Amino acid sequence: MRALAGPAMMLVMAGGYLVYHLSSKEDAPSRDFTELEFAGADYQHTGSCYSLRTVLNTNRFFSDATRSWSSPREDAWTLALDSIVQGNGGPTQISQKFTFEKDGDQVHLASVKASENLPTDLKTNVDALLESPRALRSTPIERCQKEGATGYLFVAPRR
Amino acid sequence: MRNVPISALRFQILAAILLALCAPLAGCKRSLHTRDVIEFVDKADNAARKRFAPEICGLRGENFTLSVNFQGHEERYPPSKIEMNRKLFCKEAGKFSRLRQYKLERKSMDIDLADDRKTATVKSEYVETMPYYEPDIMPLTPDDFREWQIVETRDESVVGIESGDLVFLSTRSDSVQTLTAKGEISLPYD
Repeated sequence: MRALAGPAMMLVMAGGYLVYHLSSKEDAPSRDFTELEFAGADYQHTGSCYSLRTVLNTNRFFSDATRSWSSPREDAWTLALDSIVQGNGGPTQISQKFTFEKDGDQVHLASVKASENLPTDLKTNVDALLESPRALRSTPIERCQKEGATGYLFVAPRR
Repeated sequence: MRNVPISALRFQILAAILLALCAPLAGCKRSLHTRDVIEFVDKADNAARKRFAPEICGLRGENFTLSVNFQGHEERYPPSKIEMNRKLFCKEAGKFSRLRQYKLERKSMDIDLADDRKTATVKSEYVETMPYYEPDIMPLTPDDFREWQIVETRDESVVGIESGDLVFLSTRSDSVQTLTAKGEISLPYD
C-alpha cells in the first residue's frame, strides 16, 4: 500500500502542472479560424485569396506592437495591438483592436477601434491589412493558386 | 514486507495533496518589512541601470500596470498619457537596452506599509539622463544625438508578494523631460 504514495504524489504534481499550464495559456483563435479566407471590404465580401493567418503574420513583419487575443462572442476574435512610438511631444501610445468574425468559409473584419488619428472604417483597414501579403506576394489559398484566379485586390500572376 | 495500515496511507496521500495545494500559497504567509522593500527597490534600480530587460521585467507582477503622464520638452504639446500592461512594459524594456549611456539617480523614497503588511506603497523621485534621439532621425551610431534628455519622475508604486517574490504590482508616474546640449554633460559608455 505504501508503494501507492509515490504515484499518488506524482499524480497530484502532474495535476497541479496541468491546471497551471491550462490556466496560464494565453487565449488565441484556433487554426481552423485563422486558416479561413480573409474577406475583402466590398459589398459582396469577395475573398481576398489570403487566409487570416497569412494576413496577420505578414503584417507582423512591419509592426513591433504587442498582441493579445480575446473572444467577444462565439466565432469572433478580437486582436489588440499596442505599441509606443516616440513623437515630438514624448512617447505616444498607439492602440488598435480588430474584431474578426467567421461567416461561412470566410472571416470578415467586423469592427475596428483605434487611438485618435487612426482610421477605424472597415474598408481602409481591410485594404491596409492586405498591403503586406500583396507586397510580399505571400502564398494565396489553394483556390487562388491557379493562373488567372482573382479575388479582392488580387489577380494570380501568369506563369 | 511491512504492512502499512490503510489509515496511514490515507494520511500520506492527504498530506501530499495538502502539501501540493499549499506550496503556491507559501509566499502569502510572508509579511513585508521596510527593509525588504528598500532592498527590493535598490535591486530594481540596479536592474534599470543595467538596462537588462529580463531582470527589469521579472520584477513586475503578472498583472502589472504602468500609468505614465509624460510632459515632453516641447511644452506646446500636452502631456502624453500611456497605459501599459506587463506585456507592453516588457517590450519597451527591451528597447531600453539599446541605450549605451544612461544615468539613474534616486532623489528620495518614502515607504508606506499596508496594515496587513502584504503590500507597500513606495513614493520616489528619480532623475534619468540619457541621449535624446530625435523622433524623425534614425541614429546610425550611439553618438548620433545632439542633446541629452533629463527626465524627472515622481513614481508611486505598489509592491507586494507574488509566488513568494516581491514584485511591483502597479506604478503611476509623472515625468517631465528637459533637454541639455550634448557638450554640457559627459556620461560613460556602459
